[in-house]
Amino acid sequence: MLARWWTSLASLKLTLVIFILFLLSVVLVYISELSPGWILALPFLLFALNLSAAITTNPKFRRQTGLLVFHLALLTLVLLLAASRLSYLKGSLEITEDEAFDGLLTDYEAGPLHPWHLDEVHFTQLTFTIDYDPGLNRGRTRSEVLWLDENGQPHESIIGDHHALIIAGYRFYTTHNKGFAPTFAWLPKGASTPQQGSIHLPAYPAHEFQQALDWTIPGSRQRIWTQLVLEQTVLDENRPSIFRAPERYHLVMRFDGQRRELHPGESLQFDEGRLTFVGLKTWMGYQVFYDWTIPWLLGACVVAILALGWHYRQKWAARPWLAGDEDEGTGR
Amino acid sequence: MEHEIQLLWAGIVMYVLAGSLAIVAVVLNKRPEKTILGLLCLGLLLHGLSIGLRWVRLEQGPYLTMHEILSSGIFGLLFMFSIAYWRIKPIRPIAAVILPLLFIMMGWLVLTDTAPGHLPPTYDTTWLVIHIMFGKVFLGAVLIAVGMALVILLRRFGLWEEKFSGLPNDRRLDDLAYRFMAIGFIFETLMLIAGAIWAQDAWGRYWAWDPLETWSFITWVVLAFALHLRVTLKPAPVRGAVLILTVFGLAFLTFYGVPFLSKVPHQGAI
Ligand code: HEM
Repeated sequence: MLARWWTSLASLKLTLVIFILFLLSVVLVYISELSPGWILALPFLLFALNLSAAITTNPKFRRQTGLLVFHLALLTLVLLLAASRLSYLKGSLEITEDEAFDGLLTDYEAGPLHPWHLDEVHFTQLTFTIDYDPGLNRGRTRSEVLWLDENGQPHESIIGDHHALIIAGYRFYTTHNKGFAPTFAWLPKGASTPQQGSIHLPAYPAHEFQQALDWTIPGSRQRIWTQLVLEQTVLDENRPSIFRAPERYHLVMRFDGQRRELHPGESLQFDEGRLTFVGLKTWMGYQVFYDWTIPWLLGACVVAILALGWHYRQKWAARPWLAGDEDEGTGR
Repeated sequence: MEHEIQLLWAGIVMYVLAGSLAIVAVVLNKRPEKTILGLLCLGLLLHGLSIGLRWVRLEQGPYLTMHEILSSGIFGLLFMFSIAYWRIKPIRPIAAVILPLLFIMMGWLVLTDTAPGHLPPTYDTTWLVIHIMFGKVFLGAVLIAVGMALVILLRRFGLWEEKFSGLPNDRRLDDLAYRFMAIGFIFETLMLIAGAIWAQDAWGRYWAWDPLETWSFITWVVLAFALHLRVTLKPAPVRGAVLILTVFGLAFLTFYGVPFLSKVPHQGAI
């Protein structure tokens, strides 16, 4: 009974039906906002069942090793993709120059079995520069980072564009998302040592004309609207330029109905403490990606393609179109 | 710059001469095949020089603007076709249906803006060149299958039946066409793999369902479906031909429709 079920599950006509279902699912993924993983799970499961049944029962696979290996590689790919969806992590983060990654992500999506090893990642953002061609076309990104390997040994690397920083299986990629970070020292009333921190203004040059942020000083109730005024051109439309923190700038601060301009080193006195504008830094937006299946996926793809090539080489030993048409005649 | 355009035009003139001669030859039942092959080779040489000069001048490959995508696309298709034309003599008359198809692309090409595009840093990698080369072989292989599919369909509708009588019969044409479809499948698979390696490298993800990725994946699935359908249901050559045209239509839309709609080939991914 079970054997009969299994044999009918191996039907190649069923494969065609699953192909159509798969195609519809892909279109659905494309036009809807739904999670691709869930939409594709059903056709992938059906493919896996159909293929497993076919591999074990269809004699064609026994006779054609290349074809068998190709389909086994496909099956492996499906299993790896499932493992990938269960354990991956994709997120983003922003780090201020000279600050260390604190393990926090601004947003992320992760599989339910993701091991969460982000606490093993230790790196500090040093300076970074980004070339711009005329017309504000972004060029090379050079981001210097100081990172610790698993033995605690420090290393300095330059990452960006095609070079990710890989620590504990996490891959950190620079992105086009970056901007300016005014840095402040906050000395609460009665305290003796100030705390230093930065705010991340909206991305530059994407939000060139909205370089402002409404924020609250941590640990207080003081709200401040802060705007950065650049006193020099950072990125010139007409000639090659480099994105980095400028030398001349000031802040416009609005709070409690007042407006003040603040240059580096200047302070504002509030009831709850004193806020000093230390200077301007930059922040870099990173994308982080974790997926242990990547090398295995590539391996399965390479095996699949080699096996398929081999299969067709064998299958095509004959060249019937070179023969005469005496057996079938010309035409339809 | 001027030489590039002149060479491009000279190449196009050679292609058009080859195509026109191929049509005349089929109509008059003549076979001036060496001349056609010679014209094609000369056209490829001139066109290739034009692409090479531009590549050297701009220091970026022909894959950024619509002009470059079309120009290198036509070159790739004609290169593949010329090899098939040279090696597989029995199918040479299909030049009369394939080359006119390419005339449309050439017409489109001469209307495009020749201004250079901007090379995003993420495009500066050999994986991109490999990815594109595989794509060109894929489309070229499917185009050759299209030539045979069109002959099968023309015969089915009784058009030019006796003109194409020198070609193998439908069953054999179908068999040969599907070998090219299989070559196309191998190269499209390679194209997707190379693309995924590049995407992982450049944007930190190997797959993100962007329009170009999705459309080429849909083409890949339809092509796998067509190969399966053929071995499973053994359709008549006419149905097989319709499937070939469907795959080509999808592939053509992917290559020349999707980049046309968005400013850069992989939109949002710069
Ligand atoms: C994404 C999924 C799949 C792809 C891309 C794929 C691709 C292929 C290709 C390219 C061939 C060679 C066709 C030829 O010789 O012209 C083939 C043959 C075959 N496939 Fe698949 N396949 C897939 C899924 C499956 C599944 C799920 C089954 C299980 C039922 C299956 C069973 C077979 C069999 C039995 C053959 C041999 C056909 C023959 O030579 O008569 N395939 N497949």
